Amino acid sequence: MSQLRIAGGVVHDPLNGVNGDVRDICIDGGRIVDDVSPASPRIDARGMVVMPGGVDIHAHVASGSVNLARRLLPEQHEKDPVLAPVLPDGEPPTRSGTGGTVPTTFTTGYRYAGLGYTTVFDAAVAPVLARLSHAELDDTPIVDAGFFVLMGNDAYLLRLIAAGERESAREYAAWLLGAAGGYAIKIVNPGGIELWKRGSRGLTELDTSIGATSVTPRAIIETLVDAAGSLGLPHPAHIHCNNLGLAGNVTTTLESMRATRGQRAHFTHLQFHSYARGPDGERRSGAREIIEYVNAHPEISADVGQVLFGPAATLTADAPVEFLLHKSSGRKWLNVDIELETGCGIVPHTYKEASAVAALQWVVGLELFLLSADPWRVVLSTDHPNGGSFLAYPELIRLLMDRAYRSEQLERVNQRLLAGSALADGITREYTLNEIAIVTRAGPARLLGLRHKGHLGIGADADLVVYTTDANRARMFATPRYVVKGGALVVEEGQLRRVPTGHRLHVRPAHDAAVERDLRAYFSRYSAVSFENYPVGALRDAPFPLIKDR
Amino acid sequence: MAFEGGVNAVPLPHSPANGGEARRDRLPSLERVVSAVTCLGCGCMCDDIEVVVRGERIVEARNACQLGVTWFGDGVVPASARVAGRETSIEEALAVAARLLGRSARVLVYLAPDISCETQKEGIALADALRGALDSVTSATAMSSVLAAQEQGRASATLGEIRNRADLVVFWGVDPAMRYPRYWTRYAPEPAGLHVPAGRRSRTVVAVDIGDSRAPADADLRVALSEEDEVATLTALGALFSGAVSLEDWHFLATPWAHARALVPVLRAARYAVVVADAEASAGGDSGRASALVALTQLLNGSVRCALSTLRAGGNRSGAESVATWQTGFPAAVDFARGYPRYRPYDGAAAHRLARGEIDAVFVVGAAGLIPGALQSMMKAVPCVVAGPRASESDLAAVDVVIDTGVAGIHEGGTAIRMDDVPLPLRPTLSGSPEATAVVRNLGNLVRRSRPRQPGGETGPMTRTGTPESAR
Repeated sequence: MSQLRIAGGVVHDPLNGVNGDVRDICIDGGRIVDDVSPASPRIDARGMVVMPGGVDIHAHVASGSVNLARRLLPEQHEKDPVLAPVLPDGEPPTRSGTGGTVPTTFTTGYRYAGLGYTTVFDAAVAPVLARLSHAELDDTPIVDAGFFVLMGNDAYLLRLIAAGERESAREYAAWLLGAAGGYAIKIVNPGGIELWKRGSRGLTELDTSIGATSVTPRAIIETLVDAAGSLGLPHPAHIHCNNLGLAGNVTTTLESMRATRGQRAHFTHLQFHSYARGPDGERRSGAREIIEYVNAHPEISADVGQVLFGPAATLTADAPVEFLLHKSSGRKWLNVDIELETGCGIVPHTYKEASAVAALQWVVGLELFLLSADPWRVVLSTDHPNGGSFLAYPELIRLLMDRAYRSEQLERVNQRLLAGSALADGITREYTLNEIAIVTRAGPARLLGLRHKGHLGIGADADLVVYTTDANRARMFATPRYVVKGGALVVEEGQLRRVPTGHRLHVRPAHDAAVERDLRAYFSRYSAVSFENYPVGALRDAPFPLIKDR
Repeated sequence: MAFEGGVNAVPLPHSPANGGEARRDRLPSLERVVSAVTCLGCGCMCDDIEVVVRGERIVEARNACQLGVTWFGDGVVPASARVAGRETSIEEALAVAARLLGRSARVLVYLAPDISCETQKEGIALADALRGALDSVTSATAMSSVLAAQEQGRASATLGEIRNRADLVVFWGVDPAMRYPRYWTRYAPEPAGLHVPAGRRSRTVVAVDIGDSRAPADADLRVALSEEDEVATLTALGALFSGAVSLEDWHFLATPWAHARALVPVLRAARYAVVVADAEASAGGDSGRASALVALTQLLNGSVRCALSTLRAGGNRSGAESVATWQTGFPAAVDFARGYPRYRPYDGAAAHRLARGEIDAVFVVGAAGLIPGALQSMMKAVPCVVAGPRASESDLAAVDVVIDTGVAGIHEGGTAIRMDDVPLPLRPTLSGSPEATAVVRNLGNLVRRSRPRQPGGETGPMTRTGTPESAR
């Protein structure tokens, strides 16, 4: 790979304490180096902003469920056609596709890169469908990518917890990560999806019994948080709490955070889990209570799952939520109960400024951002495509950086449920460019344990973005001037120029072979897939090192 | 800990039956047993088959049903490459095929059965590069259920969930014994599951006969409908189940309502109901049935849980839909004429385009013999290239270019997708046949080299702000 010098840019590299300093960034062999030959190609970045490539900690881009959402939404694809990008001669053929809120795989790769994002994680993959995620990621160019493995309603795991065998549960989690080729442990509505499959319609609280009395959401969280820690996974358990979106779920969310007992844990799309209950029984903002807890607990990290006005596709393993949304909105509804593991629900949705609930959701997300004391631990996401498309990130950045613009937008939305909310009372904070660099790159990379990403220090992956400065931050972040991925210049003058293949980010923790013996028997008794056919097998890229192996 | 291939080579003692034969392979008298092989004989995709290979032939497919045994056969396939009926090398056949497709203005790429997802990917890439039309067997056999699910969504479950949870199984106008023989024993109602520990005895089976389409004999309740009453019965069931019409007060005794009244108490008593229907039977003109099934099974999710299990035929048909969906956004009937995919399920499936004379060349990839006969006839009428298993023995054997390949899952590995969208690996048990994936990839490379670059797109998304404008 060739050498390259990004010369004279205003560099934001918060991990290395670089905050708007003018300096050169040198690249050789796909990595950041100290210096390159003066004869190397150079990009004149004077007056422009240079940041590491974006890292998306939580999106839905490549899974069996994502593909079911694609199939469900032909009307969105028909409205957003994408021609194959034209590359210079000698580059491999590119592919056409369609966009909408759930774009086709090639288009997903092109658009992420075009936005300056170079690393993406799919947040919810049922292990029995993992093979599909790898196949879709094989067709998602440019970005490095991985996925999180759904475990919070896994029937075998629940059996181990019921039997009090938490060590075996840890070994099973290790086996499952390797079998799926995943990167981290994901918990979605722990136990609640199993209850949905059983026809329960009640709330799922932390001590609700899931079949056996010893199996509760609390026990599931404890078991998997412990497992992630003791296995030395680069990313802690990634938790989507119970009772998503319901009035009063603040209590559930706080109780879930306490259930981690001081260990590292990541709480995802916090916006959907920060609802107080008003005297009328309706939702109110509970953002302050939640974020104050997060601020005071350094072991907790979060992404926001901001809602942006416009079309979205709600798509989640939390199938009971989608049933309720379908019943309340009347929009089309897809549900798939996934064997012995999890669920999948999909409902298209539109967040409207005129809707009181959508306005409240929008406000709660912004409050979480603006009241967060530590941008390293509260990072940016829209839970793409749930809160809005990843293409809405620039709009979100503008809302965070531009108070006047934010106030203008706030005035346009339905005020009915906003009384007493912090944002309505006026929050003056504006994110700085450095803070944006933290919540979109440096922070997520650190939370994911990606030591070579999210920064521009010597030895880091040469993933970086050059932006033309623009007072309109949405425009600035939507249209990078240059994007470099792994040392290759993929976007030049705003145009896609190269389409390299991304790397697969996955872990393969060792596990006690004894776990496989019992699993074989379990598979032959209950599974509709042979034990031998369940693991995805060897992947092209080597497994990512565990913390203890570093 | 990576799974290392699952091929358990089990050498057996010398067998006098074939000991005297001179064979090319080094170990002529040995049998190999390959376990956990996935069968593409139907959409059940049973992956517990033990294939016994002696020499270069399959001699047994243990655990397979009759359909599966037939699908595996002895694994012997022709290995011919022909141009205008003349035997030639694969290289020459590919070169001629590339010229033929490259000079055509409106190519149809048709994904026939018995190819892997990897081959399907290559076929779709070719359609994209040629700005052609893309279609698969789905549009001719199962489109009404695809469209119904796109219009309304659907309530469904993977087959393993049905195995472990369904306590009520309603066979709606289908007996799986005919075309999905192991559905009964592998998924429901026979096997014991986590929540149905006594298997068949833990489950209630309802057989709904519709006209001549008989449901299984072993049923706890049987209802016989005429075809004319089918959709009316489905909607009446919904009305009664939801309480929109009161079961107690209703005295309208038209047959659909009478049938519905008989079924409602059984549905209400269920914890987890599954309605099993054959999507492949819905060849066309009956979207009322597919839609009504989707609507009813969604509606049954209230006080009980319910899933619709749509049966799909073999050869990785669901794979063609899945791959087309992640690459184009649409499951079948795709048109790349404008340089990007458009969805034309109502007037742009292969049959429509061929009938209107819009296609000037066809590229079939997959088992041509499994394409509906009427389509094959239309394909023969235009310049045509066929690459796939048993191409030279099919009714399309006389077309311009014919290239035999191996069969996915017998001679070639890769991935296939079960009728419930669960992916499974394919384990080749025999070698030596040209791999379809490589054949189509090579053809694609040749075609791209022979055609000038099409005017493509600017990288539009990078010039947009916020949510995609077109999606607003």
